[in-house]
Amino acid sequence: MKSIPDKNILLFKSCLVSTEYPGIESSTKHIFDKIAVEYLIDHDQSCCTGLGYYSDVFDQVSTTLIAARNFHIAKKNDAKNLVVMCATCYAINKKSLKLLNSNDFLREKINKVFEDSSMKDMRYEKGSLDSLNNIFHVVEILFNKKDEIAKYLTVDLSKFRIATHHACHYCKVQYEDTIEGFRNPRILDELVEAMGFKTIDWYNTKRSTCGAGFRQRFVNKGLSMKVTGDKLLELNDESVDILVHMCPNCQMQFDRYQPYLSKKLEVDFKMVHLNVTQLIALAIGGNPYKIVGIQTHTVPVDPLIEKIPRNKI
Amino acid sequence: MNIQIENNPLRFAEELLSNLKASEDMGLLRCVQCGMCTSVCPGAKNSDYNPRDMVEKVLEGEESIINSEKIWNCFYCYTCHSVCPVGNSPCEVNQILRQIAIDKGIVNDKISPFAGYGDSFLDIGIGAMPKRFFMELNEDIEGWLDFKSELEEIRDELDLGPITIPKESIEEINVLLKKVDFDKRIKKMKSY
Repeated sequence: MKSIPDKNILLFKSCLVSTEYPGIESSTKHIFDKIAVEYLIDHDQSCCTGLGYYSDVFDQVSTTLIAARNFHIAKKNDAKNLVVMCATCYAINKKSLKLLNSNDFLREKINKVFEDSSMKDMRYEKGSLDSLNNIFHVVEILFNKKDEIAKYLTVDLSKFRIATHHACHYCKVQYEDTIEGFRNPRILDELVEAMGFKTIDWYNTKRSTCGAGFRQRFVNKGLSMKVTGDKLLELNDESVDILVHMCPNCQMQFDRYQPYLSKKLEVDFKMVHLNVTQLIALAIGGNPYKIVGIQTHTVPVDPLIEKIPRNKI
Repeated sequence: MNIQIENNPLRFAEELLSNLKASEDMGLLRCVQCGMCTSVCPGAKNSDYNPRDMVEKVLEGEESIINSEKIWNCFYCYTCHSVCPVGNSPCEVNQILRQIAIDKGIVNDKISPFAGYGDSFLDIGIGAMPKRFFMELNEDIEGWLDFKSELEEIRDELDLGPITIPKESIEEINVLLKKVDFDKRIKKMKSY
């Protein structure tokens, strides 16, 4: 089992968190501050290239070069633990770091680029970071502190039926590094349960992709929506109130397209989509609009908030 | 009589294995054609994409597989990768096949719609969703563009910093990416 840090953390900015669900970032910060996890954000850090990489636009050299620059920023800040809010940032950074450590040819090529660009200080030294012990998803930091977080609970969400959607790029890419399983991924279930709420745990499509499929959502919409719709239909049969996420791209696929699919499939889907950090921030009393950021959601979260006693949030 | 073996049938598979996108020790040559990949694949379930068949063609040296329309139905969800009993990754094989096709310049029609990810990365340091998709997104998602126009305000409410990165960092990224010909790659994608 890898050791999970609570300091020297670079909270890694994500393009989709920033532009679609910024409440994931403010919720993460709210929880980290509550339990005294030490982190910093550096605005010089660029996006990981993930959406472009998995749309086949970025080649591996370009993506790894960008990763090496971001690793330099982490080390420069004495924040050598990258903590990501997006599953694709997780997969991309781990892959690049593994390559930088194992592929001498690529590492030297990238270091040469830094030298030729008068950015010699960005050189990556073999072994200076490690994919297993320096790159984490936020859920892993929270999992490690779940009992401590639970002490701050003020809102009881146990009356809601909760299911989890574990992001593929956390569970299936570097599955050997995943904690709490990848065949029946449970890290989100464990987190929800630690807050005293129940999940439905296993369901037939639990392991299925959200259906975004990077290019598929945009140029193969029928295929993309079929996969998303199948999962929504099963969750609807299970009468789920809240689907808990760990990746902004999955959340976008379900939350943004749920009304569209309701029309197409003539099923009135009612479930609300929350990132696990948003769910926890809400449960420890975070303001729905100033911390949790529910105003950027397509499926309104207000009806759920209205069922929570006013004095709790 | 000499028997001449003209081709190494595994040459193509070996080429794929040496690609940077292939995980270290990817089990391509260990594939036993069990079909587990196809049985769990969302692309296979809902289209004529068949990862087992794609891997078979690669192992038989059928390089024409890069011309196949079907390979564009993979979701890059890595479900196949996570269950393969011999550590193969049809998902990564697919990514590499697409890269070979892109490098040959034969699939610019497939890839050019996404070139915007590269442009925006060079412009603002974020690989933002290409603008050409905005209108359709706004048609499918009620109020999406309205929300985008309020984004800065909402981020202020949430006490978050800027979305874009400082100008000096953007310049730095441009210098670096141009050194590995990323700009030329994007330009080439757009020409067809």
